[in-house]
Amino acid sequence: MNRVLLIGSPNSGKSSLFNRLTGLNQRVANFPGITVDVASGPFARMPDVELVDFPGTYSLQPISGEEAVAVEFFQRSLTDPEVRHVLCVVDATRLEKSLYFTLQVIRECQERGKPVTVLANMADVLAVNDLTFDHAGLADAIGAPVLLVSARQGLGIDALLSELRQKLITQPAVPSRWSETPDELLRGSAHQLAQRFGPRGDVLVQSQLRLDSFFLNTGLGGIAFFCIMFLLFQSIFTWSAPVMDGVETVVMGMGATLVPLISNQVIADFVADALFGGVGAFLVFVPQIFVLTLVIGVLEDSGYLARAALICHRPLKVFGLTGKSFIPMLSGVACAIPAIYAARAVDSPWQRVMTYLAIPLMPCSARLPVYALLIAVFIPDETALLGLVGWQGLALFLIYFFGMFAALVITGVVSRLASGAKSELPFVLELPPYRLPSIRPILRMAINRSKHFVTKAGKVILAVTIAVWVLGYFPNGGTDLGTSWLGELGHWIQPLFEPIGLDWRYGVAILSSFLAREVFVGTLGTIFGIEGAEDNMQPLVEQIQGSGLPLGSGIALLVFFAIALQCVSTVAILSKEGSFRLASRMLVGYLVTAYLLALLTFTVVQALL
Amino acid sequence: MHPAQTPRSLWALSKGETCAVLGFDEALPEPYRIRLMEFGFHQGEVVTCLLRPGFGAPRVYRVSNTVFSLDVEVARFVLVEQSAVGSV
Repeated sequence: MNRVLLIGSPNSGKSSLFNRLTGLNQRVANFPGITVDVASGPFARMPDVELVDFPGTYSLQPISGEEAVAVEFFQRSLTDPEVRHVLCVVDATRLEKSLYFTLQVIRECQERGKPVTVLANMADVLAVNDLTFDHAGLADAIGAPVLLVSARQGLGIDALLSELRQKLITQPAVPSRWSETPDELLRGSAHQLAQRFGPRGDVLVQSQLRLDSFFLNTGLGGIAFFCIMFLLFQSIFTWSAPVMDGVETVVMGMGATLVPLISNQVIADFVADALFGGVGAFLVFVPQIFVLTLVIGVLEDSGYLARAALICHRPLKVFGLTGKSFIPMLSGVACAIPAIYAARAVDSPWQRVMTYLAIPLMPCSARLPVYALLIAVFIPDETALLGLVGWQGLALFLIYFFGMFAALVITGVVSRLASGAKSELPFVLELPPYRLPSIRPILRMAINRSKHFVTKAGKVILAVTIAVWVLGYFPNGGTDLGTSWLGELGHWIQPLFEPIGLDWRYGVAILSSFLAREVFVGTLGTIFGIEGAEDNMQPLVEQIQGSGLPLGSGIALLVFFAIALQCVSTVAILSKEGSFRLASRMLVGYLVTAYLLALLTFTVVQALL
Repeated sequence: MHPAQTPRSLWALSKGETCAVLGFDEALPEPYRIRLMEFGFHQGEVVTCLLRPGFGAPRVYRVSNTVFSLDVEVARFVLVEQSAVGSV
C-alpha cells in the first residue's frame, strides 16, 4: 500500500489537516514504551493510499527521549519503499518558527529520494487579517512545491489531492539542493527565507497580546484561571455523572437479564459479580475519560492550556513538577484514570513521572465513601461558629488537604533525592495564538483515549477482578466471606493490622478495596451483615461504633486510604502509560508508606488519648 | 553604530523592552541553545519582553511573529543588548 507521511511542528494545524484528509477512519498506535501517538488512516478520497501522522516536533535534532524516538521512527520510515511522498505542514502566519524544521525534513527526504510538498496552513487566517505570503517565491527558493491550505475551512485541499495523485503516479525526480547541508547553514537559510517570503505585519501578535494581557494578568488572569478550572472540574464530576450512571445501569441491566438464564449457580454468580460487576466497574470510567479529554482538547486547541501551564509553573516547580502537571493533578481529584491520560501533556519524561507520582494521592471521588464512613463513625454531626462550621465537613476538608499536601511533599522529596538521575526539559513554551477549537480532531482524540482505556487497561482490570472474585467465592460458594480464601487471607494477615488496632474484618475490607477503594464500605457491610451499606451507611456506622474500634484506628485508616494506591484500574493505566516497573514500584511504595504512616498515626493518637 | 554595551540577560528585560540577542551563556547546555535558535533566538534577532506575570512566573517574549514563555532557568542564560528598534 502506498503511504504518505504527514509531519510538522506543534501548533501548525497538522492534526486538523490529518483529520480533514482522512475523515474519522483512523487508527492510533504508540511508539513502543512511550506515549507518543502515531495515527494513520486512508485518505478519504484516495482509499488506496495511507496517511501517517507523526507527532509534532520542532526539529529533527531531538532534545528529549521521546523526540529522539519520534525522529528515529520518521527517519526509518523514509527508507520504507511504500512511503512515496512526504507532506510537511508549516504555519503560514509564523513562518520563522517552522522553516528550519521544514528544511531539515526536505534535506532528509532528498537524501533518501522522497519527494516533499510543503503545506502552508492557516490560509484563512492570512486572508482575514489581510496578510500576504509569497508561497511561489518560497517554493522556488527551497526547491519543493508550497501549497497554501486551510485545514479548518478546507481551502486548497482539492489542489493538494490533485497534485498528490499526480505525483504518486509519476514519482518525480527529487532534487538534491539541500542534501548534506549542515544544520547551521539550514538555520541561517531558514531565517533569511522567512524574512524574505513570510507575511509582514504583527496584527496577529498584537491581538494575541491583548488577550494575554488579560489571561496572564496577576489578578484578572487568576480569576479567569479559577473559573476555567472550576468548569473543568464540573465537567469531570457533574457532566459525566448522568452518562456514568447510564453505563452502569445498562451493564447491570444486561447482567440482570442474562444471569437468570444460566442454570449453574457458580457460573451465574461468576457472570453476575465478576464479569458484569467487573466490566461495569471499569466501563463506568469511560464517560469521564471522554469528557475530560474533550475539555482538555478544547482548552489546548484554543491556546489556553499553554497559559494555564505558565500560571502554575512557578509554585509547582518547587515540588519537582511543572505547570503542565496542574491539569492532570486537578483531574485526579475526580478520578486518577483520566488524570493519568491527561499527563501526556507533560512533555518532560521526568516531570511526567513526577506527575504520575502525584496523581494517585489527589483525593479522588472513590475515597469519598470511605472517608464519609470513617468520619461518620468518629466525628459527631455537630456544628460550631453559629452553625457555619460542621466538624464532619472540617474533617473531610482536612483529609482532602492531607492528600494534596502528601502529593506535593512526596514529589518534592523524590525529585530532590533523584536529582542526579533526572533530566528535566527547561520551561520554554510556545504560546500559540488564541483560536476557536476544531471540534473533529478533539472528538477523535477523545474517542481514541476511551478506546485505549477499554482495550488496554480493561484486560488487566478484568483479570484482577476475576482473581479477587475467586478468592472471595471459594471454597464455600460465596455464602460467608469470612471463611472464604479471601477471609482466610484476612485472618492470615491480621498480625499486620493488629498494631493499628484493626482485626481481620478490616484486613479483608482493605484487601478487597484494591479493586476500588469504595469496595471497602460494601465489604465491611457484608461482613457486619448489613445489606446495601454503600447506599445507607447509618446501620454500618452504628455497628462499627458498637464494635469498639479505637479513634486512633479510625484516623489511621483515613491516613492509610489517603496514601495507599488501592485501585487496580489506576495501576493498570499507570502500567500502560508509564511502565510496569513504575506502576509496581508505586503500588508497593505507597502501600508501605501508607502502612507506616497509619502505624505512626495510631501510636501518636492512642498515646495522646 | 552603537558603542559596545554590557550584555544583559533576557530575564532582566522589563515589560515592553526590546533588545537584540547577543548569544548564550556557556552554562546553558548545547541542546537547549540549539532549540532556542530553532525557535528564532538567533544572534542579532530582535526580542521583546511582552509580559512579566507576577510571582516569578515564566515571562513572555516575542521573537519574529511567535510568542514564547521562558522560565528564569533558561532566560537568564540568553544574553541580549539594547536594540536600536525601540520598545513596544
